[in-house]
Amino acid sequence: MSWEAATIFVGGLGTLAIFSFLAKENPFYRIFEHLYIGIAAGFGIILTLKSFLWPQILQPLLGLDIQTYPDGTRSQAYEPLLLLYIVPMLFGLLYYFIFSARHSWLAKLVIGFTLGISGGAAFKGFFNGTFPQITGSFKPLLVFSEQQFDWFSSLSNIVFIATLLSVMYYFFFSFRSESRALGKVSASGRWLIMVCCGAYFGSTVMARMALLVERLQFLMHDWWRVVLGMWT
Amino acid sequence: MIGAIDRRVIYLLVLLGLSIPLLKNYSVRPAPIAAAANLYQLVEELPSANGRVALIALDYGPNLVAENGSQARVMIEHLMRRRIPVVLTALYAQAEPYLEALPQEIANRLMLEFPDQRWTYGTDWINLGYRVGGFQVLQSIAKSDNLANLLKKDARGNPLTELPIFSKVHTLKDIMLVGEFTGLVGMLDIYLQFLQTAEYRPPIVHGCTSITIPDAYIFLDSGQISGLLEGIAGAAWYSELLSKASPARAIDESRVLNTGLGVAHLVVIALMILGNLTMLWNRRRSE
Repeated sequence: MSWEAATIFVGGLGTLAIFSFLAKENPFYRIFEHLYIGIAAGFGIILTLKSFLWPQILQPLLGLDIQTYPDGTRSQAYEPLLLLYIVPMLFGLLYYFIFSARHSWLAKLVIGFTLGISGGAAFKGFFNGTFPQITGSFKPLLVFSEQQFDWFSSLSNIVFIATLLSVMYYFFFSFRSESRALGKVSASGRWLIMVCCGAYFGSTVMARMALLVERLQFLMHDWWRVVLGMWT
Repeated sequence: MIGAIDRRVIYLLVLLGLSIPLLKNYSVRPAPIAAAANLYQLVEELPSANGRVALIALDYGPNLVAENGSQARVMIEHLMRRRIPVVLTALYAQAEPYLEALPQEIANRLMLEFPDQRWTYGTDWINLGYRVGGFQVLQSIAKSDNLANLLKKDARGNPLTELPIFSKVHTLKDIMLVGEFTGLVGMLDIYLQFLQTAEYRPPIVHGCTSITIPDAYIFLDSGQISGLLEGIAGAAWYSELLSKASPARAIDESRVLNTGLGVAHLVVIALMILGNLTMLWNRRRSE
């Protein structure tokens, strides 16, 4: 059996094992569940080492990416500034002092640094990510295209603005009006949120089905072909 | 009686609904989807042969490949048909196998369809591989004035300066389109937030999973993304448009998957109606 066929065969077994949970909890399912969690955790670490840490950091740092030709010349000169990579690497390693009761303050330096970066990025992200949505919600209620009244776009914008305002009012807790009309706005906001939740639930079912259909296709075509090949 | 039906019988019915079109390799014409058609038109209108590239991010793993894989396949195929160079990358570790296999599979299919033409690695596409660092990678790309120097090598270890595809790519402005295929929460957001400068923001298009369609529409409505492929249905309609433009094109899997999904949805809807009718009938009988 080729390496590829063996991979497909084990993949099919894993799929069947996970699906066997639908019938009932069983040891076959448990084994593959633990295998999956272990592989998923190990995969990220190995890939980071293989495709980032080794080729992009350690190889240039140690000068291992420099080729020496038969005439003694080299493909490139060693760049001494690369040694500066050691500084952030050592700083990152301070995180492991979290296990020391006496020196755990060193780990806090790394945590503080990381929090600072994340805070700055979140601030920038908020302006670039959320502000366009706020400005995008200022829609005209009456839309004219090519000097003609566009009924569909106008209705669509009116529904959008009405939904936006009623849902915002539902979450407005600073003060409440006793007015019946505003109470109805709040209630309609709650109903519209329910509609949104329904859309989310429907799309969740759809996504789960898509996962199933892909696995079925794999079992019926790729895996079954390998199984047949093993018998013949 | 139907209220007490074993849940495993329901699973079996859904399984049968999904399996039959797959077994028969049967597909029906997908429903037209406006967002997918707009995205098709956007790609169709991109200028080719100007040295600029499309950056395609495949941020999905085996858990999302059913939807994101089908979407990426049709869009990359369209870009390759139009001879627009494609640069593939991922910020998600589990995407690594797809970055290498998917464009090669598409190129092989195209070379079968057009035996007198070639699609080659390094000229028509490259794989930058999985990049560690999340938003920092994107921010670095946006700020860089020499992308080949920043990204250094592709996933195969070739220096980018030696690859023809990168000969005219220097800054973010040389990326004319970004395609982000993911169902991961927050992944699209970092592309929208960090892959831009004060002067230039490339049009970003998105392939989302069904579960993230309601979120994706917020970005489409606000104009933050320029195009959207919704789940397998979006990929199937895009595939239909490709086939219409190229009648010799072989039908790809998205149409068959979409048909299977459609049948399974009908089964679920029928079971819901049946369940509710039974509940009403039982309630009336007990009164």
